[in-house]
Amino acid sequence: MASITNEGQMPASQAELLYQAQLRKERVFRMHVGISWGVLFLILIFLFSGQHIEFGGFTFKTINVDSEFIFKNITFIAGGLGQTLLISVLSILFAIVMALFAALGRLSKFPPIYALSTFYVSLIRGTPLYLQIFFFFLALPQLGIVLSGIVSGVLALGLNYGAYMSETFRAGLSSVGKGQREAAMALGMTPGQTMMRIVLPQALRFAIPPMGNDFISMTKDSALVSATGFVHELMWRATKVGRAQFNSLEALIMAAMFYWVMTLILTYFQSKLEARLSKGDR
Amino acid sequence: MPVSPIVKISNLDKFFGRLHVLKNISLEVPERQVICLIGRSGSGKSTLLRCINFLEEPSRGKIEVDGIQVDAEGKGKEQRKLIHDVRLKTGMVFQEFNLFPHMSVLENVIEGPVTVKGMDRKHAIELAEQNLDSVGMLFKKDEYPLRLSGGQKQRVAIARALTMEPRVMLFDEPTSALDPELIGEVLNVMKKVATEGMTMIVVTHEMGFARDVADRVIVMSDGELIEDANPDELFSNPKDPRTQALIDRYRSGEQ
Repeated sequence: MASITNEGQMPASQAELLYQAQLRKERVFRMHVGISWGVLFLILIFLFSGQHIEFGGFTFKTINVDSEFIFKNITFIAGGLGQTLLISVLSILFAIVMALFAALGRLSKFPPIYALSTFYVSLIRGTPLYLQIFFFFLALPQLGIVLSGIVSGVLALGLNYGAYMSETFRAGLSSVGKGQREAAMALGMTPGQTMMRIVLPQALRFAIPPMGNDFISMTKDSALVSATGFVHELMWRATKVGRAQFNSLEALIMAAMFYWVMTLILTYFQSKLEARLSKGDR
Repeated sequence: MPVSPIVKISNLDKFFGRLHVLKNISLEVPERQVICLIGRSGSGKSTLLRCINFLEEPSRGKIEVDGIQVDAEGKGKEQRKLIHDVRLKTGMVFQEFNLFPHMSVLENVIEGPVTVKGMDRKHAIELAEQNLDSVGMLFKKDEYPLRLSGGQKQRVAIARALTMEPRVMLFDEPTSALDPELIGEVLNVMKKVATEGMTMIVVTHEMGFARDVADRVIVMSDGELIEDANPDELFSNPKDPRTQALIDRYRSGEQ
C-alpha cells in the first residue's frame, strides 16, 4: 500500500474480491465446525436415549438413563454451583497472592528469600493436590489445627495453583525488558518504584490470559474438595445422591454437564478478555 | 580562572569478569560542553557513559557530577543515596528509547518528576508539555509509544529526560536504532538541546553531528581514551593511527 507507483498493483476492486472470498472461506469453515459439533452432541444424546433398535436380526440398545431421577435431583446438584464458584474464586485470589510472592522471591538476590520461594514451589509441585487437600483437612487436626472443609480446600488449592502460577508470573516479569528497568533507574526511581510503576503493570498484562486459563481449570479441580465430605459443591452433591439411589450414572452426567457448561461460559469470557488485551494500547 | 568541571571521572576501571573494559580513565567535562565519544564497537564508550550514572557499576575510581562525588568502591545505604543523587543530576537517552509502553506520551514524561521528585502533577504536566513542545511532540501527547515512529519515540525520550531538569544529558547511541530517514529529526533536537546550553556526553557514530555540534571529540579504543581534541583538529589532523583508521571507516561508510 505504501508503494509510490501503481505498477504491478491489482485494482482495488479485485483485491476486495479476494479479501471477501477469504472471509467467506473462513465463515464456511466455522459453520461446518459448528454443524459437526451439533451432530456429535446429538450422537452423545442418542447414546443415552435408551433406544432399542432392531437391525438385521440384532438388537442394539443405547444406554437408558433414569429421567425421573434427573428431574427430581437437578436442582439439588445445581445447588452446588455456588459453592464450586466460591471455592474457585477464593482459591484463585489466594493463588495470585502466593504466585506473586513466589515469583518476586525467585528474582530476589537475598539467598533465604530465593530459597524460600524455590522450596515452596518444589514442595507443592512435588506432591499431589489430592494429598495436599487431605493434609489440611485430616493431618492438621492432629496438631490441634482444625480447619473446615472449605478453608482446607481453599488453602490447598490456593497454595497448589500459586506454585504453578508463579512460573506464569515469572515469565511475565522477565518479559519486561532490561531497558525498562534501566530507564526507570536512570530517572532515579528506587527498586520498589521501578517494580510497582514500571515492571509489574507490564508483567500483569502479560500474565492475565494464562491466569484466566488457570481459573478455568481451578473450577474443575475444586471437585477434589468434595473428598473432605464437608463441602457441598457440585461433585459432592452428585456423588451423594448418585450413591444413595444407585443412580451415579445420571448424577455424574448431570455434574459433568454443569462443569462443561461452566467451562464453556468462562472460556468465552476468557477469549473476549484476551482479544481485548491483545489489541489494547500497548 | 577555569571553572570546576560538572562531570569529573577519576582513575576509573571497569571489569566484566576478567575482561578489563575501562582502563584507568580520567576525564573532565566543563559545564555547557558537548562531548562526542566515538570508537569501534567494544571499545568501551557505552560502558563509560553508563558508569557515569551507575547503570554500570564501575570497579574502581571516582565519579563526580555537579559536586556529588561517588567512590566506585563505596557500599551500603550511603552509596545508594549518592547514586540516586547523581541520577537526579543526569538525564539519559537510550539507543532503544525505552519508553514505558503502558503509559501515554505525557504520562511517560511526567512519571519521573511526579514519582521520583514528588512534583505536583499539574506543575509536572506544564513542564512536560513545554518540553514535548520543544522536541515537536506535543501533538502526540495522548498517544501510546506503540503508535510512534522510532524518531518520534526518541524525541519523547529526550523530553522525558529533560523534564527531570538534569545538569548533564547522556546519550547512548541515540540514533543507532533508527531508520536512516528518521535520524535527522533526532539529531536536530539534540542540536537544539546543545544550543540551549546543556552539558552533553554523546556516544555516537554520527560523524556529521560530531563535526557540527561537538566542542570536543574523544576517541576510545580498547578501554582507553586515545585522542581528545576539538572536531576540526581531530578530523583534519588525527594524531593516532587508530583514529585515522576509524575516520577512514566512517568516510567510506558515508559514501
